[in-house]
Amino acid sequence: MARNCIVVNLDRCTGCYGCEVACKMENDIALGEYWNKVVEVGPIGDYPDITRYKVPSMCQQCEDAPCVHVCPTGASYRDPETNIVLVDREKCIGCKYCMMACPYGVRNWNAETKTVEKCTLCGHLTAQGELPACVKSCAAGARFYGDLDDPDSDVSKELARYDADAIHTLEDVGNHPATHYIWSPKHGEWKERI
Amino acid sequence: MEIQWSLVLFTVLSGAGAWLFASAAIDELKGTTKKTAFPAAILAVVLLAVGGICSVTHLSHPERMLAALGHPTAGIFLEALLLGILAVVAIVYAILVKREASAGARKVFAVLGIIAAIALTFACGASYMMSSHAMWDTVTLPLAYLGTAAASGTALYLVLCAALKESDEAISFAGLLATAGGVLALVLGVVYGVAGNVAFGDQAAIFWLAVVVCGGVAPIVFGYLASKKPASGLTYGAIAVVGALIGSIGLRCVMWLVGSALMSLFGVAL
Repeated sequence: MARNCIVVNLDRCTGCYGCEVACKMENDIALGEYWNKVVEVGPIGDYPDITRYKVPSMCQQCEDAPCVHVCPTGASYRDPETNIVLVDREKCIGCKYCMMACPYGVRNWNAETKTVEKCTLCGHLTAQGELPACVKSCAAGARFYGDLDDPDSDVSKELARYDADAIHTLEDVGNHPATHYIWSPKHGEWKERI
Repeated sequence: MEIQWSLVLFTVLSGAGAWLFASAAIDELKGTTKKTAFPAAILAVVLLAVGGICSVTHLSHPERMLAALGHPTAGIFLEALLLGILAVVAIVYAILVKREASAGARKVFAVLGIIAAIALTFACGASYMMSSHAMWDTVTLPLAYLGTAAASGTALYLVLCAALKESDEAISFAGLLATAGGVLALVLGVVYGVAGNVAFGDQAAIFWLAVVVCGGVAPIVFGYLASKKPASGLTYGAIAVVGALIGSIGLRCVMWLVGSALMSLFGVAL
């Protein structure tokens, strides 16, 4: 099965918040709510060896997704065609167990519909051969979308350009996040727990 | 994290109801009480029902709850299933008692009820075992849920036995059950407190006062006193049940207050 996800090259990311804004515009997300949020890390260390960078965060498309396991109604599910973790708002009962189970806190509570929602990898766009809004709008060309198992995908090609010590995920507590971040050691230390 | 009162009340009330019935079931196997079995089973069903209603108030779309039937592996489904099974067992047992059915049939449902009560109160805590919450992700948490529920239910049974003026022997046995419930609450509560790293953290005061002293020590002491002095069983039982309920609520509140996800990148509070 495909492992569709986002890869963010933090070596190239300028921290402009363009992806966050594009996500809000594309998916009509209310003020104060997020499907994609740029989080600042640092400063870490002591002068002059200080690390500071920004991590665009969203659903990490975990391969063993805790949100899917705990959902009592199957509202959080893995799409059988794309293998992407999604939320069916029509089935959500608002118990918020998926929000508790998410190791990264990247699920949104929609105050209007009173349901949980999250990044869909812009499935409505990718189904038509387009890129997710955040990828399409990234001014620095730092975001990539595709299948990790396809060596010709944008994500695989971008990751192949870097050594293993530059490729990271957020802390894995058994959920195996598919989303990868590129952050070269020459720029600073990677912090897997933010 | 904020205390989710709907869920606290759900597990406190359903746990008390489950172990109230388990106490009556244990007594059924021993055969000491005469009048308490039926009202205990009915009160247990009422507590299970009220607890279930409390959990529903946590949901923003309870009208979609039937969709759970299509996903029967989640913790919430298991809790609902066990609660339903226990309620049915308690109702059948109550009917058997009322119709003065054979002792064998009553004992079968008593044993089923004890198993379901243990499973339900454990499952209610097991739903919170998540790798995203280090302080919850320990098997000692559902055991502590079970222990505090046992203290509440057994103490409640002591009160019922004393209020219905059972024989001294029956009240004495109910006092011993309350003592045993208190021991479970104390031991399993402290084990969670240490394993979950809450006994010496920011919530240590609530933990030691509510969970340990009120929830564990009080039912042990007053349950034992009731077993020795059945004539004062109602007073001792009332103190034991109040202490046990404080401990049961306290444990769940502490759990929520210490709950902290691995990361909270969107900064969303539950």
